[in-house]
Amino acid sequence: MRTRPNYLAGLGSSIWLLVVAIPIYVLITASFQTQQGYASGGPLSLPSTFTLDNYVNAFESGFGGYFVNTFIVTFSVVGLVLVLVPPLSYAIVRGNSRATRGVFQLFLLGLAVPSTAVIVPIFYMITNVGLYDNLLGVILPTAAFALPVSTLILSGSMRDITPELYEAMAVDGASPLRTFFRLVIPLSKGGISTIVVFSALQAWNGFLFPLILTQSESTRMITLGLFNFQTQYGVNVPALLAAVMLSMVPVLLVYLFARRALVQGLMGMGGK
Amino acid sequence: MTTLAPRKRSTRLGGPSVGRPGFVWAAPATLFFGLFALFPLVLVLVLSFTSWSGLGDPKFIGADNWVAIFNDPILFKSLGLTVLFVVLALVTQVPLSILLGVWAAGFQKNRAVLSAIYFIPLLLSSAAISVLWRALLDPNFGIPGQLSWLFGDGNLFGKQSSAIGVLTFVAMWQFTPFYTLIFQGAARAVPPVLYQAAEIDGAGTVSQFFNVTLPQMKNSIITSVILMVVGGLTAFDTVLILTNGGPGTDTAVTPFYMYQKAFRAFDFGQASAIAVVLVLAATAISLVLVRVSGYGKMQSAQEGI
Amino acid sequence: MKNRRNPWLMRVLAGSAALAVGVTLAGCSTGGGSESRPENEVHVAIYGDATNKVEEQIVATFNETSDVKVILDKIPGAEYQQKLQTIISTQNAPDIFFNWGGGSIQDFVDADLLLPLDDFIEEDPGLKDNFLSSVFDTAVIDDEAYGIPMRGTQPVMLFNNKTVLADAGIEAPATWDELLDAVEVLTAKGITPIALGGGDQWPTLMWFQYIYDRVAGPELFKDAIAGDTDVWESAESKEALSMLRELIDAGAFGTNFDSVKFTDGGSPALLRSGKAAFELMGSWNYATQQDADLEFAENELGYTAFPEVEGGKGDAADIVGNTNNFYSVTKATRYPDTVRDFLKLMYSDEFVEAQLAIGNLPTTTNTEKFLDTAANPEYSAFQFELVKNAPAFQLSWDQAYPPAAGTPLKIAVQQFFNGQIDADGFIAAMQAL
Repeated sequence: MRTRPNYLAGLGSSIWLLVVAIPIYVLITASFQTQQGYASGGPLSLPSTFTLDNYVNAFESGFGGYFVNTFIVTFSVVGLVLVLVPPLSYAIVRGNSRATRGVFQLFLLGLAVPSTAVIVPIFYMITNVGLYDNLLGVILPTAAFALPVSTLILSGSMRDITPELYEAMAVDGASPLRTFFRLVIPLSKGGISTIVVFSALQAWNGFLFPLILTQSESTRMITLGLFNFQTQYGVNVPALLAAVMLSMVPVLLVYLFARRALVQGLMGMGGK
Repeated sequence: MTTLAPRKRSTRLGGPSVGRPGFVWAAPATLFFGLFALFPLVLVLVLSFTSWSGLGDPKFIGADNWVAIFNDPILFKSLGLTVLFVVLALVTQVPLSILLGVWAAGFQKNRAVLSAIYFIPLLLSSAAISVLWRALLDPNFGIPGQLSWLFGDGNLFGKQSSAIGVLTFVAMWQFTPFYTLIFQGAARAVPPVLYQAAEIDGAGTVSQFFNVTLPQMKNSIITSVILMVVGGLTAFDTVLILTNGGPGTDTAVTPFYMYQKAFRAFDFGQASAIAVVLVLAATAISLVLVRVSGYGKMQSAQEGI
Repeated sequence: MKNRRNPWLMRVLAGSAALAVGVTLAGCSTGGGSESRPENEVHVAIYGDATNKVEEQIVATFNETSDVKVILDKIPGAEYQQKLQTIISTQNAPDIFFNWGGGSIQDFVDADLLLPLDDFIEEDPGLKDNFLSSVFDTAVIDDEAYGIPMRGTQPVMLFNNKTVLADAGIEAPATWDELLDAVEVLTAKGITPIALGGGDQWPTLMWFQYIYDRVAGPELFKDAIAGDTDVWESAESKEALSMLRELIDAGAFGTNFDSVKFTDGGSPALLRSGKAAFELMGSWNYATQQDADLEFAENELGYTAFPEVEGGKGDAADIVGNTNNFYSVTKATRYPDTVRDFLKLMYSDEFVEAQLAIGNLPTTTNTEKFLDTAANPEYSAFQFELVKNAPAFQLSWDQAYPPAAGTPLKIAVQQFFNGQIDADGFIAAMQAL
């Protein structure tokens, strides 16, 4: 790669740095200020006050509960994906029948189905089976819509396993089940981490399904909580931004400790 | 690795069927997906021929909804707005992400630090970002209030042009890191030998960028464009939180208009018709893009090396 | 490879376990419940805002002596009507819910979802007699009572910042022309004359409601909503619109009002901080201001009736707003007796005193007794006289119309104010409702 300094690029990246960093600066500093301090100084000024009240306030207003709900949903969605996608990808990559090839086309098509467009029938279905305002009603559709991309990622990862290895297992008389657990899973570690992160992010940051399918405080998730906070605290920006900061903390922790998996999960492409 | 006796190389098609997973492996996921993603597609079509307000049961009313939406100027306005936003997204995000991605692919130390900062918007959900920017752009108490010499009266959400500008900007802020990552990976994957060959031929930095880097990133660029287009056709949480479709209906993109019809005016039948239009548009555009770009054939960018 | 211990098998099993646990937790952890609602609970759906304090207090009082507990479900105001409509015909339907009477419950009555309250009233006539009849009647549909008033009456008044007015040397306007003059003085001083939460759209609507009343009298809207859409084209209608246009063009509302909202505290903050002099808002604005800055509300918040329009058909004492809010009962309720007893608290002394303490004016017959105990006795007395003496009290248009008309109505209102449509465009939009 070029090693000569590229001034134009340097300038461009500095500008972009400001664009990215300034809102983050405001986000962080405002969340620790009092409302009066923020209102009188303005968002860009150096903070004149310091308080943890905004964070306390967020928890008192129910954020703790929102965290719990979001964790439950994320956990369950990841669980569902882990149970459904590896066997599916295995079948797609190694399956020999028309049916399994058709399945792959189906999921490719599924990539183009936007969840926004089918929100009305999903609403109809969920309310009719009595799952409205129930976390399960959010978990199931979220997991379903995480399937196409997860399948794509994991199939790609499984396809990287050279056919000779499969052959070896077959020669030894291994059943598909044995091959799956002894060969496929261990060698797809990267792909599996990626889909775990990907589906976890879908669940953690999901907004549409909670918005439409839940209502009461006891099933509220973080994203919806933020939306409602905006109504309650709109002008009390510090309180609002403290809540935004809180929503970011778990993802930030994953970023710090499992960066590669997070990046790959975000890109949804298995590092390809 | 075990050594094999010489044997015809097994491929997916036409190899021994022993030890291969059958359809039963794919069944649970397929059923689940079918139930929650494919069956609703059928259902939305059915619902578009009914009238339902959320109370009671849907009533079949024939093609009335379809007639209504085809005579609805707001629907056509929303379709135009949706296309506008997609085009704006492409025009702003693609060049910027490519440039940033290529720049970030360099291995200098400071680039790693800065890249980490650029990454932060990706940690926030769409809702969080929209809430953050709504607060930041408050005309009286946000940045426009403090920097009134730059922003005038700060009426960003009250005029169509600035409202669209805000939405485009926030989308850019939110998604550029994502595409930058993709392009960074792609730029790093370019074999150095190509650059060396170009340098030998006397190509300068700019020329190398256009003749080596960009063509090698073709697949990533195409993928990103497809993602942006499909994403743009369906994004609506940012619109909901930032502008609520306003002023009036000036930023009411089609997904938002559909939400409004369904959950504010309680006309689920018409909303379903709009949803069908959305699905058809998204599918058609995806197919066209894939066909035109040759993505389906997925040629390796490294052929011929 | 075959002999290696397989940690990934563990991972898969762990994943399945996570799934099982998660799904179980999810199924059990809901408040709404997928099966029937928990026993011994009565759910009350309420519009979430600063006034909830009183509702919570009443619920606490009731629960002290009742086996069946009342639970308050607060739904954020901006989404209230939508969320209510979504759940009302499902298993998650509340037993009691907040509404505005009139068009807001018409659809539910038509769908046979509401319990007529006449039986309750027979058992306890106080449920009707203790309320001002003009208010009570807003929730009477097809000659059956469907709602019990449960907050206060909410006339719309012109609030002002006394300090700003004093500094500018003007008084609160009593006539339209005085309003225009005040606007001129204030804009010269660089102050936004009138704070407007245009982003919410319904505060803008209040201006239309008053100007139409003052110029054309209350009959115009009554005729329009009864189906006679030609009235929108009448000379009075056009004059009202042109007067409004004059006010807007004089810079009365500033230019960035569509980026400001009431529901997130934006426009009250403008009034409070002295950046604006006036705000036309419902009487709940007192509670909102009180919540944000007690000292301001007590000492600097001024309030007057809407100015008179000389030569207009409407009486200067007419008011617009919400006649009250009501509790209605769904037919599916499992504890009608508990519901009835809870509703009785709506005319209790404790309730009246609590509402007055936050600046609301209950519409019960015993209110007058307690006016002196109000948080701001002057304010409550003012409101009381305003409502008592009003020849006409027009319900907010977006509540008078059924919900389906709400969005187009508010969009037309917003577009007129920001110049996207002119008077003819507005008239056409109203006729299409």
